[in-house]
Amino acid sequence: MDAPKLSVTQLQAGYGDVQVLWDVTLDVKPGEMVCIVGSNGAGKTTLMRAISALVPVSAGRIAVDGADLTGATPARMVAAGVAHVPEGRRLFGAMSVRDNLLMGAYLRPDKAGIAEDLEKVYALFPRLAERQKQDAGTLSGGEQQMCAVGRGLMARPSLLMIDELSLGLAPRMVDLLADGLRRVNAEGVAVLLVEQDVMNALELADRAFVLDRGRVTLSGPAAALADDPAIREAYMGGLAG
Amino acid sequence: MIYLQVLANGLVLGGLYAAIAVGFSLVWGVLNVINLLHGSFIVLGSYVAFFAYAYFGIHPFLSAGIAGAALFALGYVVQAGLVNRVIAAPVLITLILTFGLDLILNNAMLLAFSADYRKVNLAHPLGSLELGPIFLPGDRVAAMVLAFLLTALLYRVLRDSRIGRAIIAVRMDREAAALMGVDVKRINAITFGLGAFMAGAAGALLSIIYPISPLNSSLFLGKAFVVCVLGGLGSVPGAMVGGVALGLIESFGAYWLGPEHAITLSFSILLVLLFVRPSGILGKRGYE
Ligand SMILES: Nc1ncnc2c1ncn2[C@@H]1O[C@H](COP(=O)(O)OP(=O)(O)OP(=O)(O)O)[C@@H](O)[C@H]1O
Ligand SMILES: [Mg+2]
Repeated sequence: MDAPKLSVTQLQAGYGDVQVLWDVTLDVKPGEMVCIVGSNGAGKTTLMRAISALVPVSAGRIAVDGADLTGATPARMVAAGVAHVPEGRRLFGAMSVRDNLLMGAYLRPDKAGIAEDLEKVYALFPRLAERQKQDAGTLSGGEQQMCAVGRGLMARPSLLMIDELSLGLAPRMVDLLADGLRRVNAEGVAVLLVEQDVMNALELADRAFVLDRGRVTLSGPAAALADDPAIREAYMGGLAG
Repeated sequence: MIYLQVLANGLVLGGLYAAIAVGFSLVWGVLNVINLLHGSFIVLGSYVAFFAYAYFGIHPFLSAGIAGAALFALGYVVQAGLVNRVIAAPVLITLILTFGLDLILNNAMLLAFSADYRKVNLAHPLGSLELGPIFLPGDRVAAMVLAFLLTALLYRVLRDSRIGRAIIAVRMDREAAALMGVDVKRINAITFGLGAFMAGAAGALLSIIYPISPLNSSLFLGKAFVVCVLGGLGSVPGAMVGGVALGLIESFGAYWLGPEHAITLSFSILLVLLFVRPSGILGKRGYE
């Protein structure tokens, strides 16, 4: 059996004295698309930041391809093939779109491969090609998200983590992004997705985890969760989030 | 015609001021650290040049590279070993740290070199240049040209090298930079080292113009500060514009009001500018 791409075991993490994550266990298999849903403040962002080593882990284990990377540095996580598209996109606003994408490939020595991947990202999101010389800060919200996803892909990851794909974007943009993400996933890149639009997330993903106040309360195939009455009531009933 | 001379003096002075300030501006802009060691770094660079000339006969134009490299190493170690520990703390904490370190470095220089003013007396000065009605001391012009070239080099490094792009990324968003795989602490240390490199090299170039003493460090620090406020923080073009502006202000101030008022004038303009245009002449926070 393949080792999981990512496995998080009994993870505890937080900020200073405030513990946010309690015994979180979750895994992503190679090539799989997994989503994490949960209401505001549930700890979704904290979980991704802990995986990327931006937030210290107080207990538990994080492994990539079976190798223990608990307490690693963000750079080691990138080198291990985990790219993180952060909440709020966090582009380098006064840098061009192209330079932003190239920053994604910061750790890579293979010039030819980088040039190839740049073309791939432009093919995935043609709008980025049109705007490659523009400062990233001047893009529309949807284009910025494309740039952020593209920047993540430039690391040539085997796992792409995206914190809020569609938040605040026009429906047409969300479609373009979801489409792009499907294509990336179809090429074998595993995806771990945090998404406030639960319907959209469960439609995209193979499996899902529900995070509630820092604990995983439910998990299973996305299709099954989409039919779960408790989920339907909690996240799809009203505009609950 | 005399105005041409005053203008030329101001430009020469301005090129040197830009080199004094650009490293200070880089460190402030990227690390958000007001490096009060900067003036002492410049003086230390001058001493490197002084002793290199006195003992080995190495011309300060050459030892600028040595002084720069030595100061880079010192700067790197100071950041990696000390400042990085408190880099996330409020700016006042890092200010106090660099203040304390400056006291140590400056007093160490007083002990080692005494407060006596020393001077590099070149065996073969370049003489003076005559451009029509304008007279310029050749060594001063050469120092200015070299200072300008070093500043331009720093600009290229920041713009076109991989490290340079990482520095700019850290400046814009250190956490996002970390997610790209940038080792932020190392980039901090390199940035601080580059700031110290520019200080050391500028100090070496200045050694043929100004008398050398640890007592001068606050003078240089003050100029770097004024240049940053004039030109805007954290960008090489900003430091150039600010440096030339200060050079011209001092030069014309000295001509109209007398040399003793040049500094008063530049600080008065600084105060006015802080009120009316706190973002500097260029008016934006440039990123290189
Ligand atoms: N930098 C921080 N310092 C202290 N507490 C924080 C910090 N960031 C988040 N928290 C707290 O941690 C908890 C989880 O926040 P987190 O951002 O991980 O939730 P989330 O599920 O991503 O929420 P959202 O849907 O709003 O993005 C919240 O209670 C939040 O207040
Ligand atoms: Mg979040």
